[in-house]
Amino acid sequence: MTAQRWVCLRQIVQYLFLALFLYLFILTAKDRWSPLPVELFYRLDPLVAISASLAGRTIPARLLWALVTLVATLILGRVWCGWVCPMGTLLDLLRFRRARSKAIQVPFRWRQVRYFLLFVVLIGALLANLTLLVLDPITILTRTLATGVMPALNYAVTAVEFWLYGFGPLQTPLAWLDTVLRSTVLPAEQSFYQLNLLLALFFTGIVGLNLVTDRFWCRYLCPLGALLGLLSKVSWLRRVVGPGCNQCRRCSRDCPTGTIEPERGFASDPGECIVCLTCLDTCPQESVAFKGQWGLAEWRSYDPSRRQLLASLATSVGGLALLRTAPIARREHPYAIRPPGARENNMLARCIRCGECMRVCPTSGLQPGLFESGVEGLWTPVLVPRLGYCDYSCHACGQVCPSGAIPPLTLEDKRRTVIGLAYIDQNRCLPWADNVDCIVCEEMCPVPAKAIRLEKARVLNDQGEVVTVQRPHVVRDLCIGCGICEYKCPLNGQAAIRVHVPNEPVP
Amino acid sequence: MREINRREFVKSLVALGATALSAGGLLAQAACSPGPGSEEPGGLVRKPSPGPAAGQAYLAVARGGSPAEITHRAVAALGGIERFVRPGDDVIIKPNICVAYHTWEYAATTNPEVVATLVSLCLGAGARRVRVMDYPFGGSAGAAYERSGIAQAVTAAGGLMEQMAKMKYRKTPIPAGRDLKEWPIYQDVLEADVLINVPIAKHHNLARLTLGMKNLLGVVLDRSQYHRHLGQRLADLTSLVYPTLTVVDAVRILVDHGPTGGSLDDVKQLDTVIASHDPVAADAYATTLFGLTGADIAYIKAAAEMGLGEMDLSHLKIEEIQA
Repeated sequence: MTAQRWVCLRQIVQYLFLALFLYLFILTAKDRWSPLPVELFYRLDPLVAISASLAGRTIPARLLWALVTLVATLILGRVWCGWVCPMGTLLDLLRFRRARSKAIQVPFRWRQVRYFLLFVVLIGALLANLTLLVLDPITILTRTLATGVMPALNYAVTAVEFWLYGFGPLQTPLAWLDTVLRSTVLPAEQSFYQLNLLLALFFTGIVGLNLVTDRFWCRYLCPLGALLGLLSKVSWLRRVVGPGCNQCRRCSRDCPTGTIEPERGFASDPGECIVCLTCLDTCPQESVAFKGQWGLAEWRSYDPSRRQLLASLATSVGGLALLRTAPIARREHPYAIRPPGARENNMLARCIRCGECMRVCPTSGLQPGLFESGVEGLWTPVLVPRLGYCDYSCHACGQVCPSGAIPPLTLEDKRRTVIGLAYIDQNRCLPWADNVDCIVCEEMCPVPAKAIRLEKARVLNDQGEVVTVQRPHVVRDLCIGCGICEYKCPLNGQAAIRVHVPNEPVP
Repeated sequence: MREINRREFVKSLVALGATALSAGGLLAQAACSPGPGSEEPGGLVRKPSPGPAAGQAYLAVARGGSPAEITHRAVAALGGIERFVRPGDDVIIKPNICVAYHTWEYAATTNPEVVATLVSLCLGAGARRVRVMDYPFGGSAGAAYERSGIAQAVTAAGGLMEQMAKMKYRKTPIPAGRDLKEWPIYQDVLEADVLINVPIAKHHNLARLTLGMKNLLGVVLDRSQYHRHLGQRLADLTSLVYPTLTVVDAVRILVDHGPTGGSLDDVKQLDTVIASHDPVAADAYATTLFGLTGADIAYIKAAAEMGLGEMDLSHLKIEEIQA
């Protein structure tokens, strides 16, 4: 096979994996048979597998698939980064080479940053913390797509549809198109995610760094790339430069990771090389080859050092000690409502921040949390009932969770799992405060015996008439905290009934 | 070179799309510019329902047999489905599929056999298409259609389940409305030739009972806001979304903890179906199954006052059928 064909093959594989990622992402929210696990990329992600196992003190069976990636890396090097990772593919597609300022030269030592991040992640995981998995590329992509891209896309399509529907002859084709779109790609309901702009900016920032240099994220920041880079130091497949090299510098110019150094005889570092094979194609002398050989690659100045390890240890330990002495550690945030079963499941030490539960939640009630459990719980799922309730007929979050942070409850068990307790604000509730009829919360309550009861009261209304109103009460022993009462409360702004964290401390 | 090509490609694609879109828009605008006598799209009013046929029942009640049989018998007693459905008609059937929580045995959603029977009847009468739809308040429409058993039954009978699309809710004036003058309403139920309302009779703490007129709430948006002055507002809605035929499913009724239910202890099996062209009379009769009268229900009273139908059953020709 010619070098050009190899590069072409790699690109096809990249696009196929990107397409597969998007396909599974869309399928996650559609209740439909899938040929592969919808959370496939998380299963294959070794950073997720290692840190989740360390933090949760168990090895989640689903994450054993990551061994495939580890073995592939030990043989072939960072092929994950060059051939598989959807984030890498996107960064290859959005290179902005023409818009790039040539003046910026990033020093080699910046490559240390990603090793530092990797160690902070792994040491944090040893201490039962997974916060920095928000920097795993797959979690970034899922989160951005779920909370930003899909809702915005759905909004735009719905708005255009609504506008075009005003033109009579378009109604029939539009109705057909809408049915097709909603059954394949788009959700049935518009979702609204808190922090969507921030999350979108986070991703845009990573893409924007491509203005500095190719795959800036992969070179300097990605902790998963760091993990695979360390393994690649001993990988079998190595790039070798033959005697035909005439120092034309094309390979070092075109290398997307910038690891081909003219000063070192155009050698590259297997810890940096993503096996994209561009150099194979670009060399006019056909003097580059990839050959098998075992052994430890040369340790470079930017590779991890003992000093760096100590610095990350200090950061992890010090940072966590600070986080765990923040006021939020003293008493729970009143509205830190977790997905069913997660609270009892030591969620903070198990949640890999992947965003699959938020993606699958049909009401988009599961939201990326910010301060509900302090900074440590950044972007872990929190039910925000004003945005969406926990559907009594759904238990999807526990089914897709790759790490077991949300247990895979049966629908029957999930219906009995208390995630919070509703409290009525009698100062605002229509029947309580205004003597006006409203039983929406009771009507909506899905518990068969109704966790909201109505008490008839004879009261004077604003017109001075004696009327009978029905006032809602929550039956605390029946309430499961699903939040549909809060979601549907007709008051504007804050609901007059709110779900709080359960009172019982977690055993 | 490659990048310039790609860029140009994208540019021409955008230009092409914009041209097509604006051309399509202009065409569409030209095609539906209001000519003389043409109606504003927002000013739809449903076709009037045929009144009682001479010699036939005003209201029919069938009891005792299978859901399919009593549905057949009740409709037959009104003079047959052909009185309501003409060949080529576009039919919408609106059952109550309010939640995705339980199967039909729990009586929170309309009996699938009753719905499927009506689908078959309409197709048998030559209907061009029969669509079945509701907008659940708990859980997604897809899940609710499946769990209620209605999706399977309707599809088997040759009907189409439609998930109600947001773009079809348009702000619509309610000319006869007393409390509400306009509200976003699903356009297809106004445009369809035939609208068959198939509520299940069940308990509801604000309305007291959920029957036919309450079931029409499934075709409006912003339902939580709709609950103030619910009685009058439901009557206002009925004045606009006037069903061609109402078939009340009382095969199994929910007597407590409605409208969501979930316990078989709250379900009473009556094996009864009520049918009438008059939505007020059908609802008024259904109240008697709960030991009430039409006057006990605010929306029935309001609708009768507006002249939308008969609340007083004493002078109506009612045919009771024992299957």
